[in-house]
Amino acid sequence: MSNSFYTNAHQSQLRRLIPDLIRSRELLRDLVWKDIRVRYRYAVMGFLWAVLEPLFMMIVLTFVFSVVFQLRFQGINGDASSGETAVIILTGLIAWQFFATALASATSSLTDNRALITKVNFPREVIPLSTVGIALVNFAIGSCLLLIVYTLLLGKLPGATIIWLPAIFAIQFVLVTGLGMLFSCMNAAFRDVGYMVNASLLFGFYATPIFYQTTLVQTELSNRGWDILYTLYFLNPMAGIVTAYREILFYNQVPSWQLLAWPILSAILALTVGTIYFRKHAPTLSDIL
Amino acid sequence: MDPVIEIDQVTKTYRARTGTRVLLGKGGLAEKISGKKHDTFHALENVSFTVDPGESLGIIGANGSGKSTLLKLIAGVTVPSQGTINVRGRVASLLELGAGFHPMLTGRENVYLNAGILGMRHKQVDAVFDEIVEFSGIGRFIDQPVDTYSSGMYVRIAFSVAAYTNPDIFLIDEVLSVGDEEFQRRCRRRIGELMDQGKTVVFVSHDLGIVNTLCERVILLSQGKMLLRETTSKAIDFYLRQIGEEKGLCTMVHGPMEAIVCNGRISIFYNEEEVTSASGLQFQVFYMGHWQNSQDADWSITDKTETSCTAEGILAKVGITLVWKITLENGKFHWDLALRNEQSVSINKYEINMFFPTRFNQWMYDDTNGMFQDILPDDTNYLAATSPELLFETASLLANDEGLCAAIGLETENQRPMCRASWHNTDFMTGCRALRIEESPMDGVIAFEPGTHTLINMALDPTLSREEVQNKLGIDSSRYTIESGPLRSRFDRGKIRLTHDGVQLTSMLHFYTSMLVNNVWYDSINFRWDQIEPIDRGFRVAGTSRRIPITQIWELTSTDNGLHIDIFLDIDEKIDIQEYHSSILLSPDYTQWKTDHESGSFPTIDTSSNDWSHVSTKYEPGQSAIATGPSLPTLTFSGKFQDEMLPHTILNTNFQQASRVLQALRLPTHSMFTLDTGRHLYMNVDIMTSYEND
Repeated sequence: MSNSFYTNAHQSQLRRLIPDLIRSRELLRDLVWKDIRVRYRYAVMGFLWAVLEPLFMMIVLTFVFSVVFQLRFQGINGDASSGETAVIILTGLIAWQFFATALASATSSLTDNRALITKVNFPREVIPLSTVGIALVNFAIGSCLLLIVYTLLLGKLPGATIIWLPAIFAIQFVLVTGLGMLFSCMNAAFRDVGYMVNASLLFGFYATPIFYQTTLVQTELSNRGWDILYTLYFLNPMAGIVTAYREILFYNQVPSWQLLAWPILSAILALTVGTIYFRKHAPTLSDIL
Repeated sequence: MDPVIEIDQVTKTYRARTGTRVLLGKGGLAEKISGKKHDTFHALENVSFTVDPGESLGIIGANGSGKSTLLKLIAGVTVPSQGTINVRGRVASLLELGAGFHPMLTGRENVYLNAGILGMRHKQVDAVFDEIVEFSGIGRFIDQPVDTYSSGMYVRIAFSVAAYTNPDIFLIDEVLSVGDEEFQRRCRRRIGELMDQGKTVVFVSHDLGIVNTLCERVILLSQGKMLLRETTSKAIDFYLRQIGEEKGLCTMVHGPMEAIVCNGRISIFYNEEEVTSASGLQFQVFYMGHWQNSQDADWSITDKTETSCTAEGILAKVGITLVWKITLENGKFHWDLALRNEQSVSINKYEINMFFPTRFNQWMYDDTNGMFQDILPDDTNYLAATSPELLFETASLLANDEGLCAAIGLETENQRPMCRASWHNTDFMTGCRALRIEESPMDGVIAFEPGTHTLINMALDPTLSREEVQNKLGIDSSRYTIESGPLRSRFDRGKIRLTHDGVQLTSMLHFYTSMLVNNVWYDSINFRWDQIEPIDRGFRVAGTSRRIPITQIWELTSTDNGLHIDIFLDIDEKIDIQEYHSSILLSPDYTQWKTDHESGSFPTIDTSSNDWSHVSTKYEPGQSAIATGPSLPTLTFSGKFQDEMLPHTILNTNFQQASRVLQALRLPTHSMFTLDTGRHLYMNVDIMTSYEND
């Protein structure tokens, strides 16, 4: 039959993933929009909060780390000025925020939408993907803010290396999507996964160069003769990604292959494992939720 | 044509789950690693069937028999553990009513979102959006957030989306009881439309009546196994006999009669033919804004013999236990209904509903009778064939053909004076004749002190032939009937029903008397009337009160132009009567009234009137009270005491009784009449009808 829609047998077929997602693109968009609308519907300032909220957070965190803790960063020429410090911290913060919120909300997305999944048949991927999409909207707003702050504080526009930014973002997006699909599905079977992800994210916040630079880690570790740990440190793919963002935006450098090799590999790995695992378990999700 | 649903040897196994998943212990990770098998249960076992395009299939079975699992499999929400399912076409199911609705989004946004989840594109929704809004009746609220909607509106918009997503296969799961009655009707019509369009409908319900009319074929599930795939009537028959929770199920046989009590519903068979219809005999209580049906109760059979049983059903929400005693005896089915409560309970109303097949097309009770209209597809409401009357003692149904069971006789013995009965046609979906016996007081309070309360004792006789019913009716009624020209008066337990050329003039209480003793009114209908003896041109009946030492004797005789009634009182011991009246309740089609002193038109009886209201204002003694109405005979009602004229008053009843009242009163000159033992003449009443004044 020509209008044969979507039967349960399809959910487990990998080759149908792309057609399913294309078919569900409107739904995906609606779900993202739904969340954003719902969030600001009854606020007088409405959508403005989507901008103000990250702005305030940026101001506070930048103030705390650069003024209160007096963290030292390596600027373009010697020690970073306070403006440079703010931009460096913000870059790390926005990249991390996207990763952390997307992963946390994706992990709990299937259990949160239990009512829907146990009743309606639709491509399950839409659910974790929509949460990544929501985080993406916030990321876009944050990036625009960063650009404004950058221009204001440094008195110049980012250099031509900025064309590399989408590539780094793509790596991060693939990574977070893959992990999100994997953890959301695992969390449906074992709710422990959600707690483990949250705990790891808390740890990851400190294990990622957000309010410090990797050079600091390198110096401190080699002072103690623990150089091997520095390699281990980069097992956190976000360490490489955040460093790459900073190199592009702030230092006008094209990130090296050594820096990006592991993040790229881990992203591809996460997406492959995540997709296969998700597709395998999608048809019976309603049984375990 | 290829089937749209193919289910081939499908088994669905669930892992038994004891609350949480643990690492160690049963079903935990440790056992998984060590390769131990965990407990499983089969929700469905080796089920195979196909559904053709345009077919309507019902799935019935007890709770936990796998109905919902089967529907989920067809909907594609889950997949079978073994076997294959092929579903061709888009499935929309009412499983998912409002799934994905977000309270903070507007109706419009939710429609698009919900339709999107059901697999529709924006463009497709655009095309039917107006229809969805129209059908839901939401109107301008469509742009309001859904959390401002009433629960009814919420369900309506949700159903509308599901109903207009243009599915090829429509799954319906017990949700037709949503929304108000008006909306339910629209839902059923919409389902009918979908079926007419050749859509496939799969329907799961406990309501065998609806399954019976909606579905062509039925699948019967029991403990995950498919017992039967059959035509609807055969499957329902089988279901009634075989399935059901064991402890609430009881079958009794007595000769050709068979009765099945199945968890709050009774079905009766005679010569292997079902006398009742699929919905059977049921009882329901209206309590705290909801109907609680006997089928919702938790039933157990407490006492059982070959031909009788006692079934007790606990309606926990109301705090009452239904006690049904069912006996098959002398070719009759006896049903004694009682309820038991440990604490005082107030319910709003209750109903006994008895459903019969449509081949019974003539109803009778007492000496009135009529034909049922045909039930048409447009009938989405119950249609009353008769207005509620005080409960009759006998009633019958006659079939239009000479089937095995040509007539059903019903006898009732009422323990509750306010019980009323009426014949109905049900809606098209249910497709039955229904006898409804109800008690629903205006103030909506029926209080039961702790204890056991008999509601009604009923006997049903399927062995009668048409002639027997007709003859029995003739003999019984003729003894109590007086004809004087076109006026026919029939005495019936303390009331007299009047017809003129076959037109019924009186209603509800008809002609009756009432006396006030110790500030309590005693109506003639509550006396025990059991003696009748013929006298010249009429008969004499006597009725004894259960509570006061008075026997009323009515002598009914025919006169040249009407009915004459002499009322005597036999007093056993000296008694004071404060007031006494005879009244006649007339059909509300009477519009004008007249007494010796004034005249006027009857005001319409408004819905809020809980009490009888006086229409006339003067109470001087007069000759008579007269009522007239378009195309009705003029009725003259005249009460006298020997030759003394009495005051006549005109009243309207309350809305529920909806009648005009002509009344003759005996008011004492002092505070009361004191009557010594012996026989006293109390009132002489003349009732005359004519068309002369027109």
